[in-house]
Amino acid sequence: MDTQTREDLLKLFQSKLNQAMRLYLETCSRCGTCTEACHVYASTGQVKHIAAYRHEIVRRIYKKYFKGQGKLASALGEPKELTELALEELYEAAYSCTGCRRCMVYCPHGIDTQMLMSIAKLLLVGANEEPEILSMLADSSIEKGKSLDLFKEGFLTAIKNLESQVVEKWQVEAGQNPIPMDQEGADLLYVALAGAHSIIPAAAIFNAAGENWTLSFFEAVNFGAFVGDPSRTKLILDRIINEAVRLKVKEVCICECGTAFRVMKQLSGKQPFKVSSITEVHARYLREGRIRLDKEKFKDPVTYHDPCQIARNAGVIDEPRYILQNLTHDFREMTDDVRYNWCCGGGGGLVALGEDTLDFRMKSAKVKVDQVQKTGAKILATACENCHTQLSNLNDHYQMGMNVQFLSSMIAEALVQ
Amino acid sequence: MEEIKVDKVMDLKGLPCPMPVVKVSKGIKEVQVGQVIEAITTDPGALADFPAWARTSGNEILKTDQGDGVIKIYIKRDK
Ligand code: SF4
Ligand code: SF4
Repeated sequence: MDTQTREDLLKLFQSKLNQAMRLYLETCSRCGTCTEACHVYASTGQVKHIAAYRHEIVRRIYKKYFKGQGKLASALGEPKELTELALEELYEAAYSCTGCRRCMVYCPHGIDTQMLMSIAKLLLVGANEEPEILSMLADSSIEKGKSLDLFKEGFLTAIKNLESQVVEKWQVEAGQNPIPMDQEGADLLYVALAGAHSIIPAAAIFNAAGENWTLSFFEAVNFGAFVGDPSRTKLILDRIINEAVRLKVKEVCICECGTAFRVMKQLSGKQPFKVSSITEVHARYLREGRIRLDKEKFKDPVTYHDPCQIARNAGVIDEPRYILQNLTHDFREMTDDVRYNWCCGGGGGLVALGEDTLDFRMKSAKVKVDQVQKTGAKILATACENCHTQLSNLNDHYQMGMNVQFLSSMIAEALVQ
Repeated sequence: MEEIKVDKVMDLKGLPCPMPVVKVSKGIKEVQVGQVIEAITTDPGALADFPAWARTSGNEILKTDQGDGVIKIYIKRDK
């Protein structure tokens, strides 16, 4: 690595060093409490997958360049030079971590592995060593924001073509638009994903609840966050913020996508709208009696996988349970305490990397499979696209025989007209 | 419009996010420059995602067809 590249990368490292990050870098006491906390280590038994081992690489680079003399310096391990080899180790650490933060709940110092891995990811972006697919997806999302007018018409036609399927699930009144778009003054902006499965059930439920809503032109997912690039994360986020401000909505509702929700909720700053997950919105409709569900619709026992980015990392825990109490007679918890729920193994961009990560994703989530199977449930519901894909892959790979469902699709199926 | 000669057909119906774009970006590398992929999808978002991806990756959307809930997008490899 030439001197200029190293200097540039160290500037990126420096840009991440706020007070919290310095604390994470300087306080690990190597107590080992996090060892069994990571699903990857618990499933594979490989030392390199222990949370503290992952951060140690970042920490030692920190010691070499930013913390040579400090009184805590001796606790930071051997200083490590930033080399090509170090970048390879950072890649291995960062892209085998899903950012689920289960280790953080166990750590007595609350050390946030996901934040420390974000340093690794940013250095990889700076060195052009990040996964090409994630960068490509982030760049496409940004381009979409710039050239809305070019694709607007085709997209509107495609949305119009979905209307009959929405009406099949919930009949609307004559003259009512089943999928409103670009409605200034709507109360709620719904931000979906590209697939029809993310739009049709949601639209039926909004219509059933009599919501004054409008569908976003943009997809919710933020690949800038997956690849760990703060500037691209912001550009992708700004497309939705600008649309929400332009339409003067009071609420932005994010579809079943964990990262999209956490990023919008925690990084959008002070805005004239509130941010909700679709699960929170559905629970609200039920509480207010705006929708009713047929509890006989799903007869098989149901368990629910809490997406890490929605539950542990963004606090939406009671809402899915309230929905499930109204949706089934036989709901089975996977864990006594949701904060300690196992990650599905698909986060952090791993699912987006598709077949390239499939083998690792299957091996590293064996503990999740065991946890699901112990419930004896037949329906495995979740509220995140990423988790749904990963759980479906696990279901096939381990021949679990589960029916993997989106919570919102189940609600739409059980709506009482 | 002249009939488009298709060199590779990719069925992307019902795939989860972001697999349609991921698969097309891999598929385009499997045809020669100047050749055409016909991508078949049911994702309304593809109507926006594919043109945006084509612009950033230097490829070209020749035509899109919509009907019966199925969307066909014709993409030419330009580089
Ligand atoms: S954030 Fe999750 S995947 Fe990453 S080290 Fe911690 S427990 Fe493991
Ligand atoms: S639990 Fe926390 S302090 Fe203990 S080894 Fe893990 S990261 Fe370090």
